[in-house]
Amino acid sequence: MSVELFVTDKAGLTKFYEAIISKNETYAPVEKFGKYDFKRVSSFDACNPDAPIAQTMSAKPLFFPRSAKIMKYTADHSGTSVKETDEDSLAGKRVILGMKHCDARALQVLDKVYNWDYIDTDYQRRRENTVIISARCDKAETHCFCTSLDYDVEHSDAMDVAIVNGTDGKVFIEARTEKGKVFLKEMNIEQRISNNEFQVTDETAPAAVKQQYEAFAASFRLKMDYTEVNARLSKIFDSPEFENVSANCISCNTCAFVCPTCHCFKISDEKVKDTGVRYKSYDSCNNGYFTLMAGGHNPRPVKYRRWRQRALHKFVYYKERFGENLCVGCGKCTNSCPVNISIFEVVKQVSETVSV
Amino acid sequence: MEAAVNNQLVSIEKPEIVAPPDWEPVIIGILCNWCSYAGSDLTGTSRIQYPPNIRIIRVPCSSRVDPWFLIKSLQTTADGVLVSGCHPGDCHYISGNYYARRRFLVTKKLLNFVGFHENRVQFSWVSAAEGPKFAKVVAKVTEDIKKLGPLHLYKKENFEK
Amino acid sequence: MDYTNQIREIASKLFAEGKIDVFVGYRMTGFDENQVPALIRDPNEVSKLVFTDKSVFNLTNYLKQDHTRNKRIGMVVKGCDSRALNLLLTESQVKRENLHIVGIPCKGVVDENGNKMQNCIECIFPNPVVFDEMVDGTPTGSEAPPYQVNTDIQNIAAMDLVERRAYFEEVFESCIRCNACRHSCPMCYCAKCCIDQETSTLYHGANTTSSAFHALMTWSLHLAGRCVDCRNCEKACPSHLPLHLLHKWNEQVIYENFQEHLAGVHEGDRGAFYKYSMKDPDDFIM
Repeated sequence: MSVELFVTDKAGLTKFYEAIISKNETYAPVEKFGKYDFKRVSSFDACNPDAPIAQTMSAKPLFFPRSAKIMKYTADHSGTSVKETDEDSLAGKRVILGMKHCDARALQVLDKVYNWDYIDTDYQRRRENTVIISARCDKAETHCFCTSLDYDVEHSDAMDVAIVNGTDGKVFIEARTEKGKVFLKEMNIEQRISNNEFQVTDETAPAAVKQQYEAFAASFRLKMDYTEVNARLSKIFDSPEFENVSANCISCNTCAFVCPTCHCFKISDEKVKDTGVRYKSYDSCNNGYFTLMAGGHNPRPVKYRRWRQRALHKFVYYKERFGENLCVGCGKCTNSCPVNISIFEVVKQVSETVSV
Repeated sequence: MEAAVNNQLVSIEKPEIVAPPDWEPVIIGILCNWCSYAGSDLTGTSRIQYPPNIRIIRVPCSSRVDPWFLIKSLQTTADGVLVSGCHPGDCHYISGNYYARRRFLVTKKLLNFVGFHENRVQFSWVSAAEGPKFAKVVAKVTEDIKKLGPLHLYKKENFEK
Repeated sequence: MDYTNQIREIASKLFAEGKIDVFVGYRMTGFDENQVPALIRDPNEVSKLVFTDKSVFNLTNYLKQDHTRNKRIGMVVKGCDSRALNLLLTESQVKRENLHIVGIPCKGVVDENGNKMQNCIECIFPNPVVFDEMVDGTPTGSEAPPYQVNTDIQNIAAMDLVERRAYFEEVFESCIRCNACRHSCPMCYCAKCCIDQETSTLYHGANTTSSAFHALMTWSLHLAGRCVDCRNCEKACPSHLPLHLLHKWNEQVIYENFQEHLAGVHEGDRGAFYKYSMKDPDDFIM
């Protein structure tokens, strides 16, 4: 008997989700204006854990919020004083439903930078207190290329509990981490087994899961060897090709705001009379003023240089420093791009201008 | 039109927000230097009383009023805004108030469209000789806004009145 | 609607005559049915150009980008794009002598699901208002149909105040402040936008609902009387917000109250806020 792999059906899974939502602080994709965003949910009907990647925002804002208060202050004639901010609303014990593999994997990539020279304690606390339950994709979408990037989709431990759709309406539930095993125990998995909602798997189950993953991996339209791309891109900082491929980018920054791995931010104050709040909010290196310094000097004054920075940061600098690409192949940027620029295609185009 | 639930005054846009018992509206008055500000001055020197809820800001001309001033006021202190300028034809700068009039209408309609009650922003023409009219206008605006209840839409988060 | 061959011919002719440095058109993405804007500088690449009903993006946006600054440009424009171009010319953002405008008698473009876009169904200026040459000969001057009130606007305006407030609260709450709407808008060309100022007491850049309200309201009022309804902003919005509601509402108010024609239709016309009439409504003022 496998302790971490169970099998159920659609109805059993729905019951399982409902139980999770009723017992925990749960976040799941909620539809608004045709786009899904991760929001706090109180009933299963309000959310859709199987939302398509193309229409779903990343879950990154649950760990790195779009706007976080870093301090409150009062500045008047008697001097300046700094106050504590409100309690972090994302720090409690919680569960995320319906996170895709790529999205969950992005958090592992981000962990590296958040554990680097400065330890972001808020981020760490949010990560520790969160149980991630993934919904697996059955089939690659148009712009997916996660299998081309350096991680093992089948054995990834980025999610604590993985949900795998098998054949004949079977659904496998697999605890991938210790946290996931503890969570399944907390959710009375034994009782579910005695109720016949869940079944214990036999020895054919791992093979069935593997088969599903193989079918999934075969459904990808986009495939490329990124180790080669990394090597090529590291040589072509001065390539004029960057100017060509970035020509039709309009620097709208959508790609950076929807990206599950982008982590640039800006600091801004909001002040009324004497009191103010300092916010840390998303920003994008595609913004013209992103590198603008006091005094007016801008080291990246033109679009192609900013564009090059974004591409090389993802596929060269981060790889060199942390050993991983700052891209998980989710295709969210391509789906959101108003002019249909595909990061996969343009990176390919640039890298093909040099030989390894 | 009075926004009330169980005899309690509530915000008309958000009925779940109940006004405190001693609630008094804050109204920002943006007045043009040449007519309305002088008019309000006359109201004072003539010893005509008007409600103390209005906080007056002087601007050179009603066309100096960027619609953004209204948005900003409503997002911070104000429960309502009054903008006042010279009568058509009387503008110190010949035509400033004609340009302003178009902007006011569009701003008022847009604010109403996104969910502000139409009386949250009001406009008037008050000349330098119309002291009594200014008092009447302020009284009417204050009364209107008292009926609407406190404004709690898109307020800046750290803002404390 | 397929003008691919005509556009390729015109572009190669323009390059051969030495009239342009860059030709701005559309090409296929190469991996699906959609198109990407193409900035062609090499006459040999003219064969990449296409034009079908998938040619959605308003190309006049590229007039504010690095690659086209101070260049002689050939550009493909549809009806709405040409209105944006007209306004940019009026506002001295581009030089007329640097432009060679190729007009398309537009029959409407489609969204990603293949449905005709709502703004194209309601469009009353499908033919370009400014052009150097048309791909299909000069259009015959048929009367523009009367102004149509947008159905979404009607539905929202019919709601009561509390419902409308709740609806727009959701809109502003879903905004992530990426400013893609502004960057994709051909009419937003300020070197530094007022909502990006660092002054903490004036504008603010945090991703909160209040600042989203602030930014979108300021933005839509700056575009009142100037928006040409090309919906680049909606295409760019990652949250799929119905941004056209704000602009169409302003357009309707201006049309009904000031009897102003739509933005960018006439050469030299700067929009409703740059002029006035003695007959403007006065009844809302005490």
